[in-house]
Amino acid sequence: MSTKAISRSTAAGRDEELIPRYSLGERANHWLGSLAYIYLLMTGLAFWSPYLYWMAAVVGGAPTARFWHPWLGLIFTVSLFWMLKQWHGDMRIDDNDRAWAKAMPDYIQNRDDELPPTGRFNFGQKLFFWGMLLSVILLLLSGVVLWYTETLPWSLRYVRYAAILIHASVALVTIGLFLVHVYMSTILEKGSFSAMVHGYVTRAWAWTFHRTWYYEVTSGSRPRPRQ
Amino acid sequence: MTNGWIDIKNTDMMLIMGGNPAENHPCGFKWAMEAKRNRNAKLISVDPRFTRTSATADLFLQIRAGTDIAFLGGLIRYAIENNRIAKEYLANYTNAAFIVKEGFKLPEDGLYSGFNAASGTYNNATWNYEEGGDLSGKMDAVASSAHESSAHGKTSAPAGKPPALPPNVAYDLTLQHPRCVFQLLKRQYSRYTPETVERITGIPKEQFLKAADLFTSVRKDGDMKKVATIIYAVGWTQHTFGTQIIRTAAMIQLLLGNVGRAGGGVNALRGHSNIQGATDMAGLFDSLPGYLKVPVPADTDLAAYLKRITPGSSKPTEWSSMNYWSNTPKFFVSLLKSLYGDSATKENGFGFDYLPKVDRDYSWTHIWDDMYNGKVKGMMAFGMNGVMIGPDTNKNINALKKADWLVVGEIYPDETSEFWKAPGITAEEQKSINTTVYRLPCAGFAEKDGSMTNSARWVTWKYAAVPPPGLARLDQDIIAQIFLRVRDLYKKEGGKFPDPILNLSWAYADAAHPGLSQVAMEVNGRALADLTDPATKQVIKAGQQLPGFAWLKDDGTTMCGNWIYSGTWTEAGSQIQRRGTEDPSGLGIYPNWAWSWPANRRVLYNRASCDSAGKPWDPDRKQVWWNEAAGKWVGNDVPDFKPDSHPKDHLGPFIMNPEGVGRLFVPIGVLADGPFPEHYEPIESPIKNPLHPNQSNNPLVKKFKTPYDKFGSPEEYSIVCTTYRLTEQYHYWTKNNPMNVQLIPEPFVEIPVELAEEKGIRGTDKIKVISARGTYIAKAFVTRRLKPMMIDGKKVYQIGLPIHQGFRGIDEDEGRNARTPANLLTPTVTDPNAHTPESKGFLVKIEKA
Amino acid sequence: MSQASTEIIRISGHAGSVPGAGLNREFQVCKLVDTTTCIGCKACEVACLEWNGYTFSETTFDNTYQTMPETAWNYWNLIKFNEHERADGSMMLLMRKDQCMHCEDPGCLAACPADGAIVQYANGIVDFQEQHCIGCGYCITGCPFNIPKFSPEARKVFKCTLCNDRVSVGLEPACIKACPTGCLHFGTKPEMKELAETRAEQLRNVSGFADAGVYDPPGVSGTHVIYVLHDAKNPELYGGLPKDPHIPYSVRLWKGPLKWLGNFAMIGGLVGLAWHYMRYGPKNEEPIPPDDRRRV
Repeated sequence: MSTKAISRSTAAGRDEELIPRYSLGERANHWLGSLAYIYLLMTGLAFWSPYLYWMAAVVGGAPTARFWHPWLGLIFTVSLFWMLKQWHGDMRIDDNDRAWAKAMPDYIQNRDDELPPTGRFNFGQKLFFWGMLLSVILLLLSGVVLWYTETLPWSLRYVRYAAILIHASVALVTIGLFLVHVYMSTILEKGSFSAMVHGYVTRAWAWTFHRTWYYEVTSGSRPRPRQ
Repeated sequence: MTNGWIDIKNTDMMLIMGGNPAENHPCGFKWAMEAKRNRNAKLISVDPRFTRTSATADLFLQIRAGTDIAFLGGLIRYAIENNRIAKEYLANYTNAAFIVKEGFKLPEDGLYSGFNAASGTYNNATWNYEEGGDLSGKMDAVASSAHESSAHGKTSAPAGKPPALPPNVAYDLTLQHPRCVFQLLKRQYSRYTPETVERITGIPKEQFLKAADLFTSVRKDGDMKKVATIIYAVGWTQHTFGTQIIRTAAMIQLLLGNVGRAGGGVNALRGHSNIQGATDMAGLFDSLPGYLKVPVPADTDLAAYLKRITPGSSKPTEWSSMNYWSNTPKFFVSLLKSLYGDSATKENGFGFDYLPKVDRDYSWTHIWDDMYNGKVKGMMAFGMNGVMIGPDTNKNINALKKADWLVVGEIYPDETSEFWKAPGITAEEQKSINTTVYRLPCAGFAEKDGSMTNSARWVTWKYAAVPPPGLARLDQDIIAQIFLRVRDLYKKEGGKFPDPILNLSWAYADAAHPGLSQVAMEVNGRALADLTDPATKQVIKAGQQLPGFAWLKDDGTTMCGNWIYSGTWTEAGSQIQRRGTEDPSGLGIYPNWAWSWPANRRVLYNRASCDSAGKPWDPDRKQVWWNEAAGKWVGNDVPDFKPDSHPKDHLGPFIMNPEGVGRLFVPIGVLADGPFPEHYEPIESPIKNPLHPNQSNNPLVKKFKTPYDKFGSPEEYSIVCTTYRLTEQYHYWTKNNPMNVQLIPEPFVEIPVELAEEKGIRGTDKIKVISARGTYIAKAFVTRRLKPMMIDGKKVYQIGLPIHQGFRGIDEDEGRNARTPANLLTPTVTDPNAHTPESKGFLVKIEKA
Repeated sequence: MSQASTEIIRISGHAGSVPGAGLNREFQVCKLVDTTTCIGCKACEVACLEWNGYTFSETTFDNTYQTMPETAWNYWNLIKFNEHERADGSMMLLMRKDQCMHCEDPGCLAACPADGAIVQYANGIVDFQEQHCIGCGYCITGCPFNIPKFSPEARKVFKCTLCNDRVSVGLEPACIKACPTGCLHFGTKPEMKELAETRAEQLRNVSGFADAGVYDPPGVSGTHVIYVLHDAKNPELYGGLPKDPHIPYSVRLWKGPLKWLGNFAMIGGLVGLAWHYMRYGPKNEEPIPPDDRRRV
């Protein structure tokens, strides 16, 4: 059942070197969410500043952007809740995370040896996930208000006033999270990006960044993600 | 209108009653707003409902529908008591000083002298002036006897001979004689105390006094400069005493010296663009064009007729009176010449016998009653929606069911042409209705030319904007065709009396399509022989258009279709097509805009805008004045007067009255129901008349006898209801126009919050309004603009409903939203003078539908 | 009013300066609505519909003379009716023509993200440019007067243009033309202001409305539609005319501090991440030590 797409899985030796990290479903969902988010980001930024209004043109013009932005928002929300379903066990914050949080400066300064060993996701990833999930809830609620803004009666205009502020502020928070996430997964932590692409990491990668998870997976105490 | 629309801008005070010009005459109402803005004029609105007119008023009083005479009578009393009257005007320009015959009795018990209970009519012999000259200061001799006889109310008229006005009227310029009009007036309205006004009208005493003080403030301290106007519409006419309400207003205006003056007068707002024109051209069965009286069977020949209808002057010997109606023979003979042309000869009394002689009341309600009773077999309905407009829709629909045929000329399918589809008539019943209905598509207002006469008496020519669509034809083409075919039939078959038809003048270039300009020229009149004015030596050649009615002759040498319109289309061309916008005086006279009857005068009786010496009461509002140097009357308006009559001649300014003065007291016969107005209750009223419970209603009102003529008792029907129109809709037409339907989509009933709470009705709930005659269904409009009233100690609710919706219109068609017509509720009882039905005050009950 | 007065001076969601700025700025137009002489005839409503080419839409009776509860995307001019009982028990039927106020400081324009969708002309008219509208509805949020309305069919927002098409060729707006009582006036702002003040003074001194005044709210730097009110202290009585209208604080916050904060944070974040990379470099996987206790 190993993926055919990845040639190294066919070699027994290689098989020894690589272990599956993300299932196909997880990756598919991730990229669905990512694409949705990028669309939301571009269109959102277009509406955010006149200097970025050109971004709307890139995705088919501003009225089109206005039309699809809420729908993509829904897709993004669905994607995140799917992630919640997929990862809620792995995203639970425990005592180990609290210890890790204390050692966060070590992580930032690349002194990863000093960090307590982590499970499938480290505390930073968990923060990102929960941050995004909370954000998406707020964005959805405020977004629906903005989506159907004309249907709100005048007496409820304060809901609209709150919604534009919440939507913009929370979007900014997600942009912050997004930047860090992209930076870390593409540039900072080698091997992360490819893991999300083909699903495998090297044993060394797993041992280095997610040691507890590595032991669980390699000992068989945890089923490997289905590829 | 005695004055005109624009003239309202010159006023200082407006009393608007029985009308809602903001809603029904919004364009004209601009002048009321101008007066407020530019002159700080005050506006008093007295209405059963707080209307959009009331919204702009300085003072609003909610009056019980149909109690206007009580209110106005109270106003007369207040003005006299507080000396807010125009004394010089009163003594010289009204009949206040005239002495009334012995035997005349005021209606303290509800009846004037001379009432015949059996016939239900008055013998008005005592409603006359005494003969005898100046009695000033000689009252002692007559005082006691006068008082006595007036209290007993004996009638002393010799039977048989119709009474006439005495040529030499007795008068008392000190106004002290107990039988002088002023004293009688004072006595008549002494009963209308603020307390009585409150009991009858429901207007709290303090509010009434506030309004009375405000209105009469124009005559504070004897000042004559300020002017007040009274403005009304059908809220006054549609009562069983409608004419008398308007009379009361006229009396107030005479008392305060407001008639004839810029910004004054008594101003009727007409409900259609040309309703004034219709009235001028014999809109009623009892008049001929130019308000000539229709002949009756007793008028055996022209001479007898002219003798009956031509008044002799009746005035104090020392005064002069123009008595313009003394020219009646000229107007009438010229009218006959226009009707019958060469067939009208001196020998045949100018065709007098061709005219029908009217033997009884043929007014609106009688036509429908006669149809119900099978006497009227068919009807031609043009330019009106008879089923909707008349009272008691059920009766009218059932009358039409009995007719053999009905011809409707209209621009839309309307309720009259589809009376058989009225709500409640089943498909089964429809099959049994045998009336043949012919529907003739007619031209709409923008598709025909012709003249219109507005409320201000302006005759204005209008042009057709577009041709009639499809098969639609001009009204005059349809009428011409019918006439020509009927004439052919008479030619062929003879008949009992073909002469009136065969001899009718029909001298139009195209007989089948008479041009309305030709009709207008005929109405103006032309010379039939060479005429010379003896004073100026001016000559009018035979065949030339007449310059005005002063040229009319009673010898058959002139013809004129309507004497008051003489001057509309002269040799100088069409005066009614003029569009001059010059207004040199700034008074809004616009002498070169269209043409105002009579003789292009904009304000009637304008001689009264000057004092006895001929000087304007207000130098800032100079209309006409006496120019001593020129020896004639000159001014910004056309003097409504004999131009060279020196003020010393004391020629009365009210030249149409034989007295030459305004009538506070209306002598013999002009009004059927009394020389002074008296408050009577509407036929359906929540109370007995507090003034005389035994004579609660107008004694002259007659009720019809069909099963539909039912009346409700206040015990069962306790709510006073009135009907009205909305600014968003126009009669029954605009429900065919999407824009108007959008503005007011559905019918509703305005009811007070308190009544709604009592009945558990919320706004927009469907409710039934039930009168003795029918049930009207609409949504409730719960409003604080109608408040419960205390009437004679009884809590009375008043409601109102607009009349517009029915069962034909874009929202009503195909039975989608067939609405009940408002006039299902109204009774078929009418005013004895103008024959107008009482639509503005009847009894109903309401319940949730 | 010449065509020059319809020169654009502000543009929504627009990067950079306004083309042609600084040219003709002579005329500031103004519509004066004297509610004290309004008779609620709705001629202005129909004139507005007809001039702008909108047609019949179905309405229902709602216990009022008012045509519909509020203006609509295809119904820009609505007289609001309000029955008001004064302290002395006397009734007032307040009628106010509701339409775009053409604010000097327009909230719709401030909130609009679409380049050129809302413009303000030198003569004061705030105009929606349909072809640039993206239908986001932010203008609805930005407006303190509840004026811009969304059309579900067009997916765009519409409102009164102060008949810019008429004004630009020297005509008065259609509503003004139709008004029978002269309750509506049109002219330059100073003229209208003077006329309004004169009328308000008359109402105070002659008609007994001690609180009569002119509504030209400073919260939006004045409007190009001004009202004369019998009771200027309680504009809410007139169908919810706001007492102190201003662009909503949240819109101000969003378009002001939040925008700067956000921009700063986004750019700062990028810079920070770059700095981090340069300072600490990538995290590389380390080989698993051979003595790893769990090595399989």
